[in-house]
Amino acid sequence: MRRIFAQTRKELTQIVRDWRTLALALLLPMILLLLMSTAISLTASHLPIVVQDLDDSPASRDFINSFRASITFHVVAWPPDKQPEEALTSNAARAALIIPEHFGRDLARGAISSLQLLVDGSDANTAKLMSGYAAQVTRAFNQRKAVSSQSGPVQAAIRLWYNPGRSSKKFFGPGIFVLGLSMFPPLLASLAMAKEGEQKTILQVYVSSISAHEFLLGKIFAFMIVALAECLLMLILLFTYFGLGMPGDPTPFVVATVLYAFCVASFGTMVGAAIPSQVAAIQAVSFGGFLLVFLLSGLIFPIDNIPAGIRWISNFIWGRYYIEIVRDALLEGGGWPATGFKVAVLSLFGPIFYLIAWRKMRRMQLEV
Amino acid sequence: MIGSFEPIFNHRVRALIRKEFAQIRRDRRLAVSLILPPTLQLLLLGFALSATVSNIKLGAVDDSRTPQSRELVATLSESKSFHLLAYYASVNQLGDAISRNQVDAGVVIPYDFARDLERGRTTTVQFLLNAMNANTAAISQGYAEGVIQAYNAGLRTAGLQPVFQQIGSQELGRQGQAQLHPAYLYNPGLKDSWFIVTGVFGLLLILNSSLVAAGAMVKEREAGTIEQLLMSPATTSEIILAKTAPLFVLLFLMSIIAVAVMKLAFGVPFHGHLSLVLSGAALCILSGISIGTVNATFAKSAQQAQLMAFFINPPLNSTAGALNPVEAMPAWLQPLTIINPIHHFAVIARASMLKGSGFADLWPNFLGLFAITLVLGSLSVWRFRKQLS
Repeated sequence: MRRIFAQTRKELTQIVRDWRTLALALLLPMILLLLMSTAISLTASHLPIVVQDLDDSPASRDFINSFRASITFHVVAWPPDKQPEEALTSNAARAALIIPEHFGRDLARGAISSLQLLVDGSDANTAKLMSGYAAQVTRAFNQRKAVSSQSGPVQAAIRLWYNPGRSSKKFFGPGIFVLGLSMFPPLLASLAMAKEGEQKTILQVYVSSISAHEFLLGKIFAFMIVALAECLLMLILLFTYFGLGMPGDPTPFVVATVLYAFCVASFGTMVGAAIPSQVAAIQAVSFGGFLLVFLLSGLIFPIDNIPAGIRWISNFIWGRYYIEIVRDALLEGGGWPATGFKVAVLSLFGPIFYLIAWRKMRRMQLEV
Repeated sequence: MIGSFEPIFNHRVRALIRKEFAQIRRDRRLAVSLILPPTLQLLLLGFALSATVSNIKLGAVDDSRTPQSRELVATLSESKSFHLLAYYASVNQLGDAISRNQVDAGVVIPYDFARDLERGRTTTVQFLLNAMNANTAAISQGYAEGVIQAYNAGLRTAGLQPVFQQIGSQELGRQGQAQLHPAYLYNPGLKDSWFIVTGVFGLLLILNSSLVAAGAMVKEREAGTIEQLLMSPATTSEIILAKTAPLFVLLFLMSIIAVAVMKLAFGVPFHGHLSLVLSGAALCILSGISIGTVNATFAKSAQQAQLMAFFINPPLNSTAGALNPVEAMPAWLQPLTIINPIHHFAVIARASMLKGSGFADLWPNFLGLFAITLVLGSLSVWRFRKQLS
């Protein structure tokens, strides 16, 4: 036990002495959390739109004004002698609204007047959002114009739960929090471990009286402390700047966080033990810790959207379970009944990584 | 042609370039690692990343239990957008299911739904959407409203309740309506992968070129052979030029393969000039290489260079508008895309491939890439010279 703590203290001292590593460990996760969670959102507002008004009547100007009033669209000026498609090819606008001649006359007569909306489809998701919002604006315009407010026999009353303001920040914040935890502690752990192999200081470990278990546990504890410190710093940000809280029982979150810290620290140590080269170890961690967690754990794009051929992989991505637990704890508050199973699955990953690292260590010890 | 480049590519530079190529030929790993992983990443990301919202899991609470209410649920689940998972007995049970993520959306039909419809009154159906994912919520909200509209239109034409039809047709006769017809240009099938791969392309170019360039520059210093290079009559800028030229050739080869992958595997159309995309890629590689060389002048070892890359690349990637629209970023971040090479290249690739834009539309982005390369390139030469003197 004493030897484990001595090893832990040695690792922590090494981290604190190197400013680059310390900054990487503590500052970068917070910077990334701030930057990525605000920058990564998919729901755009102030999308530039040009209008070609062939009617130029009070009714058409009224219609344009209802687009001007929406937050989603931002009407930009476009010379009338130029084709509206040119606004799309020159990236001046993302959509063009064309109001036909006789628009006002048709409306006054009670006929249906067709308007065309040309949408830049090169960004498919934004294109869908734009046509959805434009339809809502048109519907509101029609309702305003109608004598009676009754629009249809069935009306939809839509309630948005957990995130009524549809703030992307609140959704991505917890995800980036998990990404930071999945990336930096294993990166540092693998670097520390690969360094021992590269500089051959591991030979000193072999000849000392410390056992493989004690050595590995000491290292893993050190990086668990780093992970929990990062976690604490990022949680402070989430609670203050992001305005998140703990609506429900926090115990599953606390248990899962400790388990996840063990999981990522063991992952890094395992990679470092398996690949005794720092550059190659960095690449392996950035693949496992960053790319897989970033892509296949439902961080930005829902897991259901991944083609079925590779979707099963996400069942083996440790970050996926933790993301779901964190989102539940910070947004929904479902507590143990909602997340108990995920916590149980998460607890399996750490020991598996630890066992692989231990087998590698033991084999190396015999070889030397 | 070669004669005009004589002042830049003189015999010293040519000899150095030959030396670099010989080194790369010996170390096959570099060439393979430059070409194989990016192609795989492009394939994986293009297929895996999709923001499309379909098959939203729907739970229903039907308090009305009438043919009309079942018809409404059927209309919802018939559309590709919603997929009916289960009926629940009460709103509380539905709420539990949403909080456990068993369903993403719920519809609650009131007990007087059919009665109100028959009497020609307006009735309200409640939708509960899990809005944790803001994008999914915004799109499913649009879907739900669209389905209800279609259901209303169906009621009108089917004449299910004569009372209402009368009111409806009277109103229609009196009041005109604006009808919006959206047309999706450039990507009528709304394929997400076209947006993703064109963005990922730039991301991979910058990531790989900056990492490889930093590695190559640092390696010479770590091995201690940099002094020998300095003792040669070649100047600093000639050394940097010779070091980066073979990398440029390899990376350019990678971008040609990437373009082929986009065309063959994803069916991305090429409406514009291929030369425009490739020259954009060439400039993008150059700016990536200059990011890498600047990084290398600050790092003392390969490990430090890699760590620095962790400070540079994630912020560059996430603020480029490569995987998400620039308009979705906070207002203070949007002007910063001007110094982001990934952003410029993503604009060039998308506009010229998908929309067929020409140089007349895209010159500001080319200028941006060129300026970034020039500033960072001279910075690295200056830093390099200062360190060595």
